[in-house]
Formats: sequence, C-alpha cells, structure tokens
Amino acid sequence: MAAKQHIAESIVAIDHFKMDFGGKTVIKDLSFDVKRGEVFGFLGSNGSGKTTTIRALLGIYQPSGGTLLVGGKPFSVAGKTKLGYLPEERGLYKKESVIDVMVYFGQLKGLSRIEAKSRAEKYLQRVKLTDKATTRLDKLSGGQQQKIQLGITIMNDPELLILDEPTKGFDPVNRRLLMDIIEEHQQAGATVIFVTHQMEEVERLCDRIILLKDGTAHAYGTIDEVKKQFGGLSLDDIFLKVYGDENEKEEL
Amino acid sequence: MHNLGTVFRFEVTRTLKKKSFWIMALAFPLLIGAVFAIVFFSNDATDKAAEDTKNQHFSMAITDTAGVIPDAMLHAVKAERVTDKQAAIDKVMAGKLDAYFYYPSDLKKNKVEVYAKDVGLFDNGRYEGVAKVLLQQSIAGKVDPQTTAILQDKVGFNAVTYKNGKQFDGFKELIAPGIFLVLFYFLIAMFGNQMLTSTTEEKENRVIEMILTTIEPRALIVGKILSLIVLAAIQVVIILVPTILAYLLFREQLQLPDIDLTQIPLDPARIAVGASIFILSFLLFTGLLVAIGAAAPTAKEAGGFFGVIMILIFGPLYAVTLFISQPDTLLVKILSFFPLTAPIPLMLRNAVGNLSFTEAGIAIVILAISAVIALAIAVRMFRYGALEYSRRLSLKVIFSKKNS
Repeated sequence: MAAKQHIAESIVAIDHFKMDFGGKTVIKDLSFDVKRGEVFGFLGSNGSGKTTTIRALLGIYQPSGGTLLVGGKPFSVAGKTKLGYLPEERGLYKKESVIDVMVYFGQLKGLSRIEAKSRAEKYLQRVKLTDKATTRLDKLSGGQQQKIQLGITIMNDPELLILDEPTKGFDPVNRRLLMDIIEEHQQAGATVIFVTHQMEEVERLCDRIILLKDGTAHAYGTIDEVKKQFGGLSLDDIFLKVYGDENEKEEL
Repeated sequence: MHNLGTVFRFEVTRTLKKKSFWIMALAFPLLIGAVFAIVFFSNDATDKAAEDTKNQHFSMAITDTAGVIPDAMLHAVKAERVTDKQAAIDKVMAGKLDAYFYYPSDLKKNKVEVYAKDVGLFDNGRYEGVAKVLLQQSIAGKVDPQTTAILQDKVGFNAVTYKNGKQFDGFKELIAPGIFLVLFYFLIAMFGNQMLTSTTEEKENRVIEMILTTIEPRALIVGKILSLIVLAAIQVVIILVPTILAYLLFREQLQLPDIDLTQIPLDPARIAVGASIFILSFLLFTGLLVAIGAAAPTAKEAGGFFGVIMILIFGPLYAVTLFISQPDTLLVKILSFFPLTAPIPLMLRNAVGNLSFTEAGIAIVILAISAVIALAIAVRMFRYGALEYSRRLSLKVIFSKKNS
C-alpha cells in the first residue's frame, strides 16, 4: 500500500538501479524519486552516471538491475506521460529547414500538422529566429541550433521535462531565456529533471537535488537538507568537496 | 504503428526536395533520351547519305575476268570496261578516275579488288557497296527471284514451338515474369545505397536519442522503407513514361522492333510467383541493408558493405546459362534456396519457366522468413546500435541485449 502511494505521488521512481558496461559497474545501487510538479536537480561530476541513468529511465539503455518507472510504468513512447527530452548529445536533421524539422517532431509528439506549425512559429518568434524558419539547420550557429532543439523539446507541453545540461554552450542571454522557459513550464505544472554543473541555476530553480558519486546517491533531498548535511556549505563548495578529489586523482 | 504516416510523409517530402534525387532520377531518362537522339540523327544522316550516294554519279571502270557483269549493267551505271588493270589503278591514283573494280576469274577463291579515290572514312565504304551491288544485280538477272531471295538470305522464318501440348514461345513467355527481375535489379542498383544510409543519418546527426524517445524504432524503419518503395516507384515512372512515349512516337525512326503488346502471354501463376519473389527479396535486402546501416557508425563505413551485398545479389548472374539450361544441378539449387543469393536465380528461372511450383513455394517461404528476420534485426540494430556513435556494433552486443 505504501509502495503504491509512493508511485502515485512520483512521476519518476528509480529503485535499486544497477548498470554495467562491458564488465564495469557504472551505477551500483541507485534509488530516488521525482515528485510531480517539482524541479529536480541531477548533479554529479563528468562520468558519474547522470546521462546513463536518464537513458536507462527512458529505455534507451537496458538496466542491469532494478526498476525505473515513469508514471508508474517502464517508459514507452506509446505511454501516457507526455515527455520532453533534451539529450546531452545534440543534433537534428541538419539538411532540413528549421520549420520542417520542428513540425515533424511536433507531429511525432502527437500534434496535428497545423498545431505543430503554429507552435513552432510562436516559439521562433519568442527566440527571435522567425527569419530563420526556412533556413537549413546546418546554416545556423551552434547556439541557434540548440534553441531549436529546446523548442522541439517543449513543443508538446510535456508533463515531464528532462534536460541534460541544457545550458551547455549558451551565452548568458540565452541562458536567461532558457531559465525563464523552464520556470514557465514548472508553473504550468510540469515536472523538470535538470542535469547541470551550474550551481546558481540549481539554487534558482531546483526544489530537490541528488548528487551522484561512485554509482550511488551521495546526497539527496531539498537544497536546504543537502546544505545541512554538509554543515551549511554553499552548493559550489559542496560540489568541490564531493568531487574535488576526483580531479586530484586525475591529475595524479 | 503509431506515427508511421508522419515518418513516411517526412521522408518522401524531404527526398523529393533534394536536388540529388532529381539529378539521379532524371539522369537515366536523359541518358536514354540522348542515346535515342544520337540513334535518331545517326539513322537520319545514314539514310540521307545513302540517298545521296544513290543519286551521285562517279566515274568508274571495271575489269571483269569472271565474265559475270553484262554490258547492259555497265551502261546503266555509266561504267567503262577496261582490260589494263595497272593503267586503271594509275588513273585512280592520279585522280582521273573515281573508282576501279577488278573482278577475278575465280570469285570463290579470290577477292574482288576495289581501288578508289578517298572520300572520307565513312563514305569510302560506298565503293565496295557498288562493287557488290553490281555483282548481285548481274546474278539476279540470271536466276528466278526465289533463288535470289534464298541466296541473299532474305527468307523469313516463323517458328512455332510446343510445351506440354500447348503452343509456347520461350522469348515472349519470359517478358511478363521477367519484368520483376529487371525491376529488382534496377531498384537495388538505384536505391541500395540509399537503403544502406537511411538510418546512419540519425546517428551521424546525433538526433537518435530524441527519435528513440519520440517514436518506436519499428515505426521509423518501416516508415523509411515504405518511403523508399514510393520513391522507387516515382523513379520507375520517371524512366518508363518517356521511354514508352519515345517508343510509341519514334519507333520507326529509331528502328526499334515492332512489339505487339497484346500478343505477350500472361501466365497468372508465374506472374504471381514472380511478384512474390520480387516483393520478399526487396524486403529481405532492404532489411539487410538497413541493419548494416544501423550497425555502422557512419554512412562511409556502411558504404564499405555495399559491394559485398551487391556481389551476393548479382554474383549468380555469372551462372545464367546454368539457370536456363541445367536447372537441376546442385549449384543452381543452392543458389536458388540460399536467401542471400536466391532473388536472381529464382526470378530468372521463373521467367524462363523451369521453376516448379514446389520449388517456388519452398523458396517463397524461405524468403518470407528471411525477410521477417532481416527486418527484425534491422529494428534491433537500430534500437541498440543507436548510441554507438564511434564504433561498429558487434553481433554479440546486439544479441546479448534483453528484449525491451
């Protein structure tokens, strides 16, 4: 009964997740959940397993053990939860025009062609790329391409928005724009899982966070709870304290 | 399959917008058009030249030691009879005489000698033609027209052959079922590479994660395959329409054979067998090529496998005489039933009529199972090979994955 209630409250539930790659264990035993409507910060150094966890959650990787649920079930594209996913590895159909690609993904996400076009145009207006609608994607700058990919991610008003390092490569102006968009979606009721190394973004947006280290949850809770665990240190200092020794090991 | 139509429309539309598709699509009909135009103008020029030659008068002399050319014939062509061979040759050399023909006394053993003024590489042949016509016309006057026709190989033949108690024209019979063989060859040759690289784009552009979390891989692959089929059909129409128009409008000028389409035999059973083998072979190789594309990290690496697949498909063509004349040999059986080499032998044997219904049935079952397996592997390769950006996917990795 308690387990059922736990699933009902959580949009994402990960329980004893384990992941091996070629005999090497990347995730040892990871359990956490993400509640509906919250912004959840997923933190960790490079290679700590954040992206692997997200890929396993979304069925791209098969987990070696444990359960990973979205909306109470293993993720499926035909499932009920409307997903918006901005992966760490980014790219689009580079030889196609901006509007064609946006409409295509909008349709794949269940919108009608007219609705997808209308939403794409509205978004392009917002990010000041209306004049690039018919331009081929490979003619855009890296930052502009990233904006398009973000637009595709949020086109279907997702209930669950998973953003894997969304500000990577963004200038401060575009970073602000991205933060505004995330806040808007959260206010509209979306749940956001946010992978980042930017602690100010975490402070500004996240309700709860998890710090991944050595394939397990090193710290997990609200920002205040985590800070308390580390004697009131700032998030930047916590990050340095937890992961600083990894850099030292690498340097050695 | 959800979103199949969306994928299909997207793939077809974006390919039709590509210049490269139209360059490839129009290159073949343009090439055919250019060949037809060359043939047309060449025939026209040849006819004119022949007409000019017929009307042209040139001075000539002959020495007829065989005694076969009558005086009347020489008068008709205004030729002079001479006896001094060397003097005549000297005249030709000096440009005082256009041509001199020396007919030896024994035409069976010795050659007719032709000496003439140069009038260009192609027109020089006319002298030999005149020397020959003089000889033929001289003989024609001495025998009846029937004998002349026989000697000049102008007798036509009409052969009727029978098989299983029914009239059977081997050549005409193979036209309808043979179309599938031509179509298969054409589709694989034109679209094979596109099939191979159809899924590498998602990998190379790093769009794969967004795709896998938005659409079922099966729907994406089937949508892509369907779009390739439609694009291939468009390509066929682009080639066939101008070809048929050219045939109907310029058949005589192009000196093409007059084929009465209503006389082509249509055997429904053989056509059904041919169609089944064609469709299943197409699906089998599409699945195989897509699977290879999904396993390779880049289109360039995938391209390396294209040659191997082509050898498997078209290699059996080297044994074409075996398929036609010795269908019961072991090699023919192996090539006919091994799925990767089967399409050409099966379609060829069905076209020439030596593929029994039992063999056809077994082959169709083998091809159907192979096609389903190839498509399933393609989906699995795409699904699990998706994030292998920098390395080729091993079979061990693919088949060790648990079912999703």
